[in-house]
Amino acid sequence: MSGTPVRSMARSPFVLVVGVVLTWFIAAFLVWPNVNILMATFFPDGSFSGRAAEKLFSSQRAMKALGNSFLLAVALSITVNLVGIFIVLVTHYFRIRGSRILFLGYASTFIYGGIVLAAGYKFIYGDKGIVTSLLVKVFPGLDPGWFSGFFAVLVVMTFATTTNHMLFVANALKGIDYQTVEAARNLGGSTWTILRRIVLPMLKPTLFAVTILSFLTGLGALSAPQVLGGRDFQTITPMILTFTNSPTSRDLAALLAVILGVATILMLAVMSRLEKGGTYFSVSKVSSALQKQQITSPVANAVVHTLAYLLFAVYTLPVLLIVLYSFADGAAIQTGQLSLGSLTLENYARVLTQQSGLRPFIVSVVYSALAALIAVGGLLFVARLLQKYRNWVSTAFEYLLHIPWILPSALLALGLIISYDHPNPMVGGAVLTGTTVILLIAFVTVKIPFTLRMLKASFASVNSSLEEAAAIMGAKTLYVFRRILLPLVLPAAAAITALNFNSLLDDYDTAIFLAHPLVQPLGLVIKANTDGAEGTEGIANTFVYTVLLMVITGITMYLVYGRSRGKGPGKKRLPAVPPPAAVPGPALGGDMMSDGDAGKAAAPVR
Amino acid sequence: MIRLDNIEVSFGDFTAIPHLDLHVRPGEFFTLLGPSGCGKTTALRTLAGFIQPSKGTVSVDGKDVTRLPSDKRQVGMVFQNYALFPSMSVWENIAFGLRVRKEKPADSDHMVRDIARRVELSDEQLAKNVAELSGGQQQRVAVARALVLRPKILLLDEPLSNLDAKLRHQLRQQLKDLQSQFGITTVYVTHDQDEALAMSDRVAVFNKGVVEQVGTPQEIYDRSATEFVCNFIGDSSALTPEFVADLNRRSGAGLSTDASSYLRVEKASLHPDTDGGNAVGLPGTVVSRTYHGLHSRYVVRSHGSDIRLLVREDGGPQPEPGSDATVYLRPEHILQYHPATGRALEREDQAVPLP
Repeated sequence: MSGTPVRSMARSPFVLVVGVVLTWFIAAFLVWPNVNILMATFFPDGSFSGRAAEKLFSSQRAMKALGNSFLLAVALSITVNLVGIFIVLVTHYFRIRGSRILFLGYASTFIYGGIVLAAGYKFIYGDKGIVTSLLVKVFPGLDPGWFSGFFAVLVVMTFATTTNHMLFVANALKGIDYQTVEAARNLGGSTWTILRRIVLPMLKPTLFAVTILSFLTGLGALSAPQVLGGRDFQTITPMILTFTNSPTSRDLAALLAVILGVATILMLAVMSRLEKGGTYFSVSKVSSALQKQQITSPVANAVVHTLAYLLFAVYTLPVLLIVLYSFADGAAIQTGQLSLGSLTLENYARVLTQQSGLRPFIVSVVYSALAALIAVGGLLFVARLLQKYRNWVSTAFEYLLHIPWILPSALLALGLIISYDHPNPMVGGAVLTGTTVILLIAFVTVKIPFTLRMLKASFASVNSSLEEAAAIMGAKTLYVFRRILLPLVLPAAAAITALNFNSLLDDYDTAIFLAHPLVQPLGLVIKANTDGAEGTEGIANTFVYTVLLMVITGITMYLVYGRSRGKGPGKKRLPAVPPPAAVPGPALGGDMMSDGDAGKAAAPVR
Repeated sequence: MIRLDNIEVSFGDFTAIPHLDLHVRPGEFFTLLGPSGCGKTTALRTLAGFIQPSKGTVSVDGKDVTRLPSDKRQVGMVFQNYALFPSMSVWENIAFGLRVRKEKPADSDHMVRDIARRVELSDEQLAKNVAELSGGQQQRVAVARALVLRPKILLLDEPLSNLDAKLRHQLRQQLKDLQSQFGITTVYVTHDQDEALAMSDRVAVFNKGVVEQVGTPQEIYDRSATEFVCNFIGDSSALTPEFVADLNRRSGAGLSTDASSYLRVEKASLHPDTDGGNAVGLPGTVVSRTYHGLHSRYVVRSHGSDIRLLVREDGGPQPEPGSDATVYLRPEHILQYHPATGRALEREDQAVPLP
């Protein structure tokens, strides 16, 4: 696209106003907090100091946490790929009986992730968990704490993060030209050869990308190690959180956050480098749709079917149990013994009518809705301008707006805390730390990259002749925007708002750093309940929250993506939101920092 | 060489091919021609072993291969978009089948280089990624990949359809040259009649899953067996019964006035035969003229028929629309079809002994 001179861009008052607001926002909330962290770490008194590093290296706990994080990251990259590739092949590539049902089971992590999922696994497999109680009855020798530590964290995070595979790898697989498979078969390739030599190599860039996303998810993991890691398995982000809470060790927290940030940036750089090299996609214009492959060997076929259904059970069991036990009374939850008589609507009644039960839900809904609306509303203008003007200024803005994408949320949150815990001229001399506003700012910030990409894509999909036709008839910039462009991108904007709302609703990673002590969103309350603070009632409440969240998320996902899916090939319906990974290879995943729901709303579009 | 006997192909409730018999001779360039959705690709894929017919047999070289998988039939295939493996180099693409067969690496390399030379791919190109090749080179890789396994039959599924017009003409020739160089029995699928006429030894014209006619290009053009073939191949004008009646009156030919009658555009003229042939002139009015450089296309209305014809732009006088003109044609060039069955009326039926 041809560039627009910066000077001509600066002549439009519309551009100037948006530009000023944007510059302030970027400076105050994206750049300054992170610069501030670097300064707090390395220049605590105005001159360079390596004290934080010394403290860190002498802290055994911190070094152990660092090691654990990298161990988790590496292990997760492997396990997620194994499980993820398997479920994608089973649902999209091989002819498996009941693959639609399997798909629904594997897709349960779309509506259920992050802290909610970690809590769910703990309530079921944890030391007082439903399944554990039953198991102990059968095997009295079983250690009730069997499901904790590295193993538990890895298992939970593996099943929680295959969403990326379901989104990106499945999409890449669908993009493979079936003629290449037939050609290979015609040349004598067996099912296994074709998979190994033709299909998987074509998925390589996507697999690289999801591997790096998994790595980063493991590295920045927060809720799973906190809930299931136990004493022995702690990782960086929980450590940052601990250090943040005491003023004397904030420099340590900052340094850990910086290490996390540098590792993240390095990995993302590697990823974008890999994306550029090599052609992996079909060189042809006409391609035919993939058809499912029969596994010819009966033994292999039986093994694959068995594994597929075992995994299905692993995926769906927590969901089913949570739904079931959300109706159960306290005694049933404690003992795991369930009878028809102990199923009531009492838990729902309590959560939805009592102040204490309903409050976190409302707090989360208000925060998420506000943040989603502000992000989409504000970025509508920005996305439009970035899409229209191409020059070094707009490119610079675009890069800056992607800061939340390349930095872990712990780093962003910590930056906000230490930048605004004293009156700061950037925000008119106000103190933000400890107020209810700071979490809203963080929520908006975190959603910027995803929102921007999606909005830009939908602006780009508008036929430019429409705009030119309006301009030729004398319409001014704002009028064209309001009357022509806005109505066209509004469905997409609404969908993006809904996805943002969804992913913020059960947020834990940001809220744990920034939430006001009296205005606690849902994620924090669920986490508190896993510690057993509120007893059985707390557990029952969490089950109800989880069910409600799954319902809300499920409905949103259905409204945004579901209706256009599964109507067979050749559908011409324009999706409200560009389908995930419509471009070759996933770009940087959305909120990949929040373990669990990475990619839930992270359809990257370039 | 290849026989399809009594083939029926169904997809669920839909019968794509109700009944098909085809016989392809050794070394022949045989084309399946028809509009999209006519079943020609289905027939090819049945032959390739990608589709299992619900009835009938496929045999190659006298051997029944109906139940054999694609790779055991000794057929090579060039796909519509070539289906080159994007993750492999040119060499790896061509060697794929050899490596699957577990040929010795040295033998494989020898065979790959040999076939590459014969389709004019250089060593340098062998090392390249397939995306770096032009459309023509990609086609040669696809052909080489199919031929390196020494198949008995080469199947080509509209390999020229996703190319621009100029390249298509160029590659058509290249493909035909390769085929005659290797002398391999080839079955070619296309919807482009021009391609079919120019390349084939014989053509089968498909319509709605049924073969309407099998014959040499000239046979299907000049003696189209059915009304569908007549309309699908070439360009012709429909004639009214009045026109045919007037023609009969003027020439004494006993053409049926009830049949559907057609006249090919190049068989009508605005000038009488110079070589003293038996062309008959019918009066008409020029309706339109479209200039094409090499020639002009005219529409002349006569007895309610819009007769389309070509006039060479050789500097001679050209009548303008609205003026009167005489259309010259020979009665034996009229193609006649039974109005109900669409079958060609036998020439003998039309011939009425002259007085």
